[in-house]
Amino acid sequence: MGAEGVDVEALVREVRDEVSRKREEGVYTDARIGRAERHNLIYMADSEELLKFYLNCLKDGVHVDINDFSIEDKRAGWKGKGLVKMKTVIWKLLKFYTFRMWHQQNQINAMLVTALESSYKQSEKKINELEKRIAELESGTSE
Amino acid sequence: MKLAFVTPRFAVEGVVGGAETLIRDLAQTAAAAGHEVQLLTTCATNPHTWSNDRDPWEEVVDGIRVRGFRVKEDRDLGVFLGVQDRIVKEQKLTRAEEEAWVANSITSPELMSALENEIAELDAVLVGPYLFGLTLQVSEAFAEKTWLIPCLHDESYARVGLIADRFRAVRGCLFNSEPERDLAMRLYGLGPECGGVVGMAIEPFEVDADAFARKHGLEGPYVIYCGRQEDGKNTPLLFDYLHTYTERRQGAVRLVLTGSGDVSIPEKLRPYVLNLGFVSEQEKIEAMAGATAFIHPSVNESFGIVLLESWLAGTPVLVHDKGEVLKWQCQRSGGGLWFQYYPEFESLLDRLIEDSELNQALGQAGNRYVRSTYNREAIAEKLFDVLEGKIHAQ
Repeated sequence: MGAEGVDVEALVREVRDEVSRKREEGVYTDARIGRAERHNLIYMADSEELLKFYLNCLKDGVHVDINDFSIEDKRAGWKGKGLVKMKTVIWKLLKFYTFRMWHQQNQINAMLVTALESSYKQSEKKINELEKRIAELESGTSE
Repeated sequence: MKLAFVTPRFAVEGVVGGAETLIRDLAQTAAAAGHEVQLLTTCATNPHTWSNDRDPWEEVVDGIRVRGFRVKEDRDLGVFLGVQDRIVKEQKLTRAEEEAWVANSITSPELMSALENEIAELDAVLVGPYLFGLTLQVSEAFAEKTWLIPCLHDESYARVGLIADRFRAVRGCLFNSEPERDLAMRLYGLGPECGGVVGMAIEPFEVDADAFARKHGLEGPYVIYCGRQEDGKNTPLLFDYLHTYTERRQGAVRLVLTGSGDVSIPEKLRPYVLNLGFVSEQEKIEAMAGATAFIHPSVNESFGIVLLESWLAGTPVLVHDKGEVLKWQCQRSGGGLWFQYYPEFESLLDRLIEDSELNQALGQAGNRYVRSTYNREAIAEKLFDVLEGKIHAQ
């Protein structure tokens, strides 16, 4: 049964090409996307493309954000100002006491992602070499 | 023909799943075509307790003689759940364990006895869905006259040896879609003579596309999902994707939900969600008609009734690439698009929101497809072509 009006196969292909191009441009290098894909990995386990993409997202999302941020309070007047000051002091104390721990965690996260990526690249290289070798053997061009 | 349909629960609006709705609809189609049709079911209405919620009864509904029989209540739930747990973990079972699982599943000795008394006069027994003890017992006792309406999914239950035997032993199967038939052929080593693709009739309707937004004071585009909100339907993926989409697009779309479930909605997505729970059929189709898209992320469907309803409401759909049946419906109709991962989802949803001409064209293509493929006459023709042996799998 053919589709009248819209060629949905062509449209999906066009969108995939567009997404590939944007991915190269870094449009989707976003930790939020990595988080969104956590339930998709099980279905897309056979997709090399998704795995590569997910590893890229991980690189972006691997660091725990320990930078300062703007502390605000919706309440007006002295009450609001007082609360902002109190929260600022609490944050500074919290950061002082936990900085070392977060810093170490970030180092571990970064090492794990690097190890995962290296392992993936090594496997990919080995598979490519094996596939090339098999193709040569099958075509009888091997020496 | 004299036909008996058998299903564990009788479909009353809003209280049963898609499979029971489909079986009731097929019975209606057969009755409307002038055949003598009866439907045998149980007194249970709650799929969690499977207790006899009402007394045995008999009534005529839409030209179908419907009878309710008591379920066997003294089943050994411990044995049933113990084996079921091992099935879910895909552990190897002995034949005795499989038989114990069936015997302690949902069964009705009274229904079996009534069928036994009448089987000689019947031309065919049509029973489903596949994973209930009642279905498996009917398929064994009356195999030569049984047509299985499996509503088969690619899941651990489908790999139970005893279930494979039933598929091989029955007269044939009535499938809802080609991917479902292909799955049965793949899992059980069946040939194309194993049955035919029928589906069910979807009644067309006209609906005011603005009524829902007016009633709920909604402004701007919204997408919709109707049905159970659970892991098996891949709802967590929908919530995660919409959460990310609303963050990256500064809340450019809202999500309307109907149905129930136990999946929690991410806190930051909640301001963009209108979760209505169970609503009337009228409100559901009004909500569908006003939506930018119906999103169905499930990868485990045998038919996709809500997808077809959405098209009748003129709304295009977005489905997951790995949902074989739903993607097949989109490819056949030209009424929907499919995504593999978030970036594709984002890009497709952007287009559906921004390009109203494309949105309308997809919705209209879906609408034409449902009206021509799933009207009652077409379904009756397919059903009796299969039952009378005129066609096998298409």
